[in-house]
This record gives sequence, structure tokens and C-alpha cells, in this order.
Amino acid sequence: MPSFPALLPLLFLGFGAVAAMLAAPRLPRLSRVLAALALMAAAATLAARLWAPAGQSALLSDDGLARSAGMMVCLAALGSLAFLRPGGPSKEGPALILLASLGGLMLAGATHAASLFLGLELVTLALVALFVLPLTRAALEAGYKFLILGAAGAATLLMGLALAHAASGTADLQAFAGRGMMLGLATALLMAGLCFKLALVPFHMWTPDAFDGAPRAAAAFAGAASKIAVVAALVRLHTLAPPEVWAIGLGLAGGASILLGNLVALRQDGIGRMLGYSSVAHAGYVASTLASGAPMAAEAALFYIAVYAPALLAALCVTAALGPEARIADLRGLVWRRPLAGGAMALALISLAGLPVSAGFFGKYIVFTALIEGGAWTLLAMAIAGSALGAYYYLRFVALIFRRAPDPAAPFLPAADRLLLLLASAATAVLGLRPDLLLDPLRRLLP
Amino acid sequence: MGYDMELTALILLPFFGGIAALFAGRFGRDAERWVSIAALALALVILILAFLTPGDGRWIAFERFDWAPSLGMQVILAMDGLSGALLVVSLALGIVSVIVSWKITEHSGLLNAALLWTVAASNGVFLSFDLLVFAFFWELMLVPAFLLISVWGHGDREAAALKFLVFNAVAGLGLLAAVFYLGASGEVVTFDAFEVAERDIPHGVQVLLLLGFAAAFLVKLPVPPLHAWLPDAHTQAPTAGSILLAGLLLKTGAYGLFRFPPMLFPEGFATLAPWGMVLGAFGSIYGALLACGQTDAKRLVAYTSVAHMSIVLMGICGGVYFSLMGAGVEMVAHAFSASALFLLIGALYDRTGTRDLRELGGLQQSAPRFAAAFAVFFSAALAMPGTANFLGEALVITGMFQVNWIFASITLISLVVSVVYATRLFKRVVFGKARRSGVVEDLTAREMGPIVLLAIATLLFGMLPQLLMGALEGAVTAALAPVAGP
Repeated sequence: MPSFPALLPLLFLGFGAVAAMLAAPRLPRLSRVLAALALMAAAATLAARLWAPAGQSALLSDDGLARSAGMMVCLAALGSLAFLRPGGPSKEGPALILLASLGGLMLAGATHAASLFLGLELVTLALVALFVLPLTRAALEAGYKFLILGAAGAATLLMGLALAHAASGTADLQAFAGRGMMLGLATALLMAGLCFKLALVPFHMWTPDAFDGAPRAAAAFAGAASKIAVVAALVRLHTLAPPEVWAIGLGLAGGASILLGNLVALRQDGIGRMLGYSSVAHAGYVASTLASGAPMAAEAALFYIAVYAPALLAALCVTAALGPEARIADLRGLVWRRPLAGGAMALALISLAGLPVSAGFFGKYIVFTALIEGGAWTLLAMAIAGSALGAYYYLRFVALIFRRAPDPAAPFLPAADRLLLLLASAATAVLGLRPDLLLDPLRRLLP
Repeated sequence: MGYDMELTALILLPFFGGIAALFAGRFGRDAERWVSIAALALALVILILAFLTPGDGRWIAFERFDWAPSLGMQVILAMDGLSGALLVVSLALGIVSVIVSWKITEHSGLLNAALLWTVAASNGVFLSFDLLVFAFFWELMLVPAFLLISVWGHGDREAAALKFLVFNAVAGLGLLAAVFYLGASGEVVTFDAFEVAERDIPHGVQVLLLLGFAAAFLVKLPVPPLHAWLPDAHTQAPTAGSILLAGLLLKTGAYGLFRFPPMLFPEGFATLAPWGMVLGAFGSIYGALLACGQTDAKRLVAYTSVAHMSIVLMGICGGVYFSLMGAGVEMVAHAFSASALFLLIGALYDRTGTRDLRELGGLQQSAPRFAAAFAVFFSAALAMPGTANFLGEALVITGMFQVNWIFASITLISLVVSVVYATRLFKRVVFGKARRSGVVEDLTAREMGPIVLLAIATLLFGMLPQLLMGALEGAVTAALAPVAGP
């Protein structure tokens, strides 16, 4: 039986969403504060119960994986909250972010077809609303792509769940543990549905638009928080599914994402589009880690996505401050105009490139090591090639940040953005020096 | 022996000194420079004290503690004569580079921080025997050096900096992959080089892993055809940046080659060493010939670095006592002489606004101290007897004759060519009429300090070879036969 404290985080987010929604029309600021408080409360409850004995209900599991991933989802969602401007068009934004986080938490704990589907759809639908809310052309385009592809992904997932149910007679996700033609097909379809949210090739088409024209809060959530939740779901499933289907499907999608994401990102001059394609590549590293079948794959995948999230949030935050459709030239001399924004952006890009002192260096370490341990040599070669490409295009942007040509126009950074940049940079730098602070708990919490 | 932290301090002092320098500018004029010098000088004192305390035979000092045990990451710092000599080079050149950039006021906090971080990271490279930590510092070096070129450089500095960074970061991936493989392939995850050295790695795997290591080291060294980043990076970098690039970063490549391949992959190294010698022989001639054709003085010195480091590569791959000893001596000697030449050319550029050999000249009339300094370091560049460079190259050639007379003869030819480019440079800059450059103000006291220091080092090690050779003895013997951990 699930205990009441185990449900508390979900209750915080659910009631928080209602409260934020009620406050939104009259008191948008209060709505933001409520949402932040709800997320913090949820994260704190999860943190407090991190080491409590695991529990299990018919729909949700309350174990180390669900708690740690849920906590990271809440923190990343808090980061996305900073992207909402108080006077912006999306008054309902805070409530939507809470709903999406609620979906994320369900996804991280899902042990049943119903909860998995519910969690996934909650994230998708809340994000669709968040995407289209400004009702601009770019926002509608991004939201539309997200919706259509999301619906296709959801349909695929449902088909997979239905097949698994038909083959095994149960809707419990344990059903995937068996073998056979039907279950193999079911797993492949399920995987495809989840790959959509990770933006793996060939389900990546929504990402560049999401990162470029769309509201940044939606992009931040779709890029960081929702990916953490999906990785958690994949981690839970990857011990159940037949390994060969898993290795082939995720391996192909992961390898293709690494190559395509990096190759296309190489040619982007728009910062948002570059980050979008690079996020495809980073999802590819995570997927190949899970495909490798290494014993450490689970912790490696979660660690990687966890160190990716703060770097992405910081980079997106600076991009947002530079204005819509920011291009590489807008970064020129940023560090001299706004030391905090420039420094945080440089650190974030260095982390994405995987150079020390940044968490990304150890992210690269853990992914390469998992691929070596699993003997996935082709994927390792792809990951090395991808990192080589990444080194070039990220550093191209870093080079401009330090260019000695001060431009008088300094972007405006509200207090929430400054706080986000500080916290994200601190997380990136600290994990760049002491990766074990995150890796040790993950190792002990994961099954 | 108590819980010593002296080696850790050699890395942390410059690192935190750099952070302090970043903010010191607010507390007074030139405060960031004095902070930097103080941090480096203090580290130098600690280093000298470490030399004076008795070690345990093979190592002058040894430290080991956990960093991130769950990743198999330990801090294993060990200093023998080779690391020690290179640390002296690193700290001394750090001080020199701070003094040399005294007049640069633009973002000088970050400038001094970048100088100190470069020193800190290369100290980490010279000391680490945990391969993951080694790789960490190896990659870390790139970032501050990149900033040095990109922010305070000349001309097309951003492109040069990016080229430097991308070449080295991409090559570093080979090292990373090999190191990660070594870590993951043991029974327990460990990157302890001493433990890895005792493993029985199959020959084919050794060759592959060594290729990964070599990619990073040979690009950093650099040896043609992997040198494409170097001429631009050296030329566009500010003087302090060129000093650290030539004096320090190139040496990390040589150090890595010297230390790890013979220790970790003895059989694989034996297989690949002849190819290394071929590359070295080619590079020594190629670099020297290209140096002859340059008109930009800085570019010329950059190509001489290619030639000299190729000779170092040949010495290391030669694998006999004399060639290894020569490579070690040449590493230290070249660090002093090349950085001194960059310093002099930088000073000349500050005064005349040109580095073009066709426009310079007549230094011996207007600036005798300048001319004398040039004379000392030109003779070092062409390996005149009496300089440490002569000692190094003579030893390499002696050793190479034991290995293969063809490679030895090629090195000799490269030495002959070095006479050509050095005399050409000397003649153009020091003698003749002052062409466009006009009357040049002589070296100031602040410039003379570092020059005298570097000249003393060059001549001292040349005249009293046993000083340096005695220190290198342990490392050379270890490179001959695989090391056992203490």
C-alpha cells in the first residue's frame, strides 16, 4: 500500500496547479510564487524520503529511481519557471508547468501501462498549451509540430501497450519481461513512443522549432525536466524488455541521433537551433548508453541527463535574454557586457562540449565508460566522432563570448534569471569537481 | 612521513591564485599582478623545499588520496626529477609571463587568472599518475590557453584560438577513450597508472590504446602533419601566451610521451616506436626548412619549435639511455630558449610594431642589451655548445646512432638547417641597417629580469650538465624499463 507521505509530492503539485490556476488571472505574480513553492515542497519531500524503504502500488512505484528522478524533474521545472515573465502572455504558465511536472513524476514512477500513458500525456498536453500560449506564428508552429508528433508518439505507445497486454494478459509493465514475436514488436512500439519525448532521430523534428521560436519556458521544460522523466521511465523499462530489441532499437536511434544532431548543429548560426539539434545529439548519448546493456547503464543515463539539464537551462536562459531568434553574433563580447550571463553561457557550453572543469566532462566519462563496459564499439566510435564535432561548434560560440569588441547593448536579466544562472553554473562547476556527489547517491538508489 | 600536501599545493596555489587575481584588481593598481607573482613564487618555494627534503629513492615526493572513489578517481601525485624540472619550468615561465604582460591593462584580472590556470593545469599534468585525473588536467589546460590567444592575441586571433582548441580537444578524445577503456577494463575500476602498468594487456589492444594516447600527445607536441594549429596559435597569441604555449603546453605533450607509453604499453610502444622515429625525423627537417622560409619572426620561432620537438619525439622513441636523456634535457632547454625568443620578439614588436624580418635590423647599434640577449638565445636555438640545447641534441644524436644511423644523420641535417635559420634571423634583426624599425629603445629593467633568468638557466644547464642529467636519471631509467609502483 502506498503511504501518504509517498503521495505528498504528487498532491503538492496537483493542488499547487489548481491554486496557481486560480491565482493566475488576477495575481500572476502570486501564481508564480505558488508554483515555485509547490515545486520546492515536492522536491523537499522527495529529498527527505530519498532513503526511505521502497513502496509499490498497482500504478506507481515509490523507490529510489522514482524519488531521485522526481526530485530532479522538480528542480529542472523550477528552472523552467524562471523563464516565464510576470507580464508575459502566458498567465497560466505556472499552472501548466506544475501539471507537466506532475506528469513527469508519474512517468518516473510508472509501473503500469495506465500510469505510464497518463504521465506521458499529462506532460505532452501541458507542454502543448505552454507552447502555443503566446499565439504567435512561431509559437503555434512549434506547438502544432509538438502536438502532431506527440499524438503520433502517444498512438505508437498505446499500440505497444495494447500488444503487450494482448500477449501477456496484464497491463502491468512487468508484461514486457517475457519473450516472443508479439512482445518484441510491443517493446519496439513502446520505445518509439518514448523516443519522441527524448527527441531521438527520427522523432526529433519538433526540437529545433521548440528551441528557437517557441516560448522558452516550454522549450526549457521539454529539454530538461521532461527528458529526465522519460529517461527514468526508460531506465525502469530497460531491465524488463528483451535486451536485443532494446539494443537494436535504442542503439539505432541513439547512434543516428548522435550523428545527425551533431552534424546539423555544426551548421547552425542561431543559438536556439544549435541548442535544439545539440539536444538531439545529447539524447542520443543517453539512448546509446541504455542500448549498450552495460550494468552501469542506468546510473550513467540518469547522471548524463542530470548534468545536461543545468547546462541546457543556463544556455537557454542566456539565449532568451538575448532576444527572440538570437544568433551567434549576438554573443559577441557578452562576457564583458554581462559577466554573469557571459560566464554562465561559456561554462554551460564548455559543459555541453564535455571539457573540464564542468559536469559535462564527467558526463562524457560516464557515457564512454558505459559504452566500453557494454562492448558497444560502434556506438563508442559514433560518440567519439560526435564529441569531436561538438567540441568544434560549442567552442565556436564560446570564442565569440570572449571577443574583445564591447557592444554597448547589454541584455536585461531579471532577478529570477540571475538566480537560475548562478544555481545552474554552481551545479555544473561543483559536479565538475565532485561528480561523486551525484553519482554515489544515484548508484545506491537505482535498482 | 606525515600527511604531505606539497604537491597538491603546487596545483592548488596557482589555481586559487588565479581566482584571487580575477578579483584583486579592485583593491589597488597592479594588485592582480602581485597576487599572481606571489602565488607562483610561493609555489616555487614549496617546490624547492620539496627538492630539499629526502624522498624515497624513485620519487622526490608522493601523495595519494581519494577524489571520487566511486568513479575510481584518486589523486596520485608523484614527482621525480623529470616532473620536478618541468615544474620549475612551469612556475618560472608563469612568473615570466606575468611580468611580460605587465603593460596589458585590458581585462588584466582575467588575463592573470588565465596565465595562472594554465600553469596550474600543466602542473597537474606533470604530477598526476591517476590517468583520469591526468586526462582531466590535460583537457583543463586548453580552456585558459584558448582564452589567452582569443582575448589578448593579435590579428586573426579568434580563428587561431579556435583552431588550437579544436585540434587539441579532438585529439584529446583519443586519450580520453583510451583512459576510460583502461579504467573500465580492470577487475575494479581504477585509473592508477601503477596498477594499470602491471596489467597484462594483449599486444593488439596495447597498440590501439597507445594510438589513442599518442593522438593527444603528438598534436600537442606537435609533430607534422598534426602541427597545423601551432604556427597560427603562436603567432597570434600575446607574448605571454606564446611563452606558455612554447614553454609549457608543448612540453606536456613531450612529457606524456616520455612517461606513459613505455610505462603502460611497453610492447605496443616497441611496435610503434619506429613510426614515431619516422615522424620525428620528418618533422625535424620539415620544421627547420619551413622556419628558413618565414618572414614573420614569431612564425619562424614557432616552426623551430616544431623541429625541436620532433627531435624530442625521436629521442623518446629511440628508447635508449642517451636518446631519452637527450629528449629530457632538450624539453627543459627548449622551454627556456623558445620562451626567451618569444619574449624578445614580443618586446621588439611592442617597440617597432612589426615582426617582419625585412623591416627589422640594426639592433646592435641602438640596443646593445637587446642584441646580446638575442645572441644568447640564437646560439641556443642553433644548439651552440655551452647551451643546454646543445647538450640535449647531442645526446639525442648520440643515442640515435645506437639505434639507427639514418635517423641520426637526419637529425644532424636538421641541426645544419637550424644554423641557417638562426643566423638568418640573427643577421636580419641584429645586424645591418635599421630599416623601417628605426632606433629601438633598449630592454628595460623589467624585461631584463626574465631574460637574465632564462639565460642563466640555459647556460647553467649547458655548462653543468650533471645538474639536469642527475635529476632526469630516474625518469630515464624508468622509461627504459617499466616502473613498479612505490
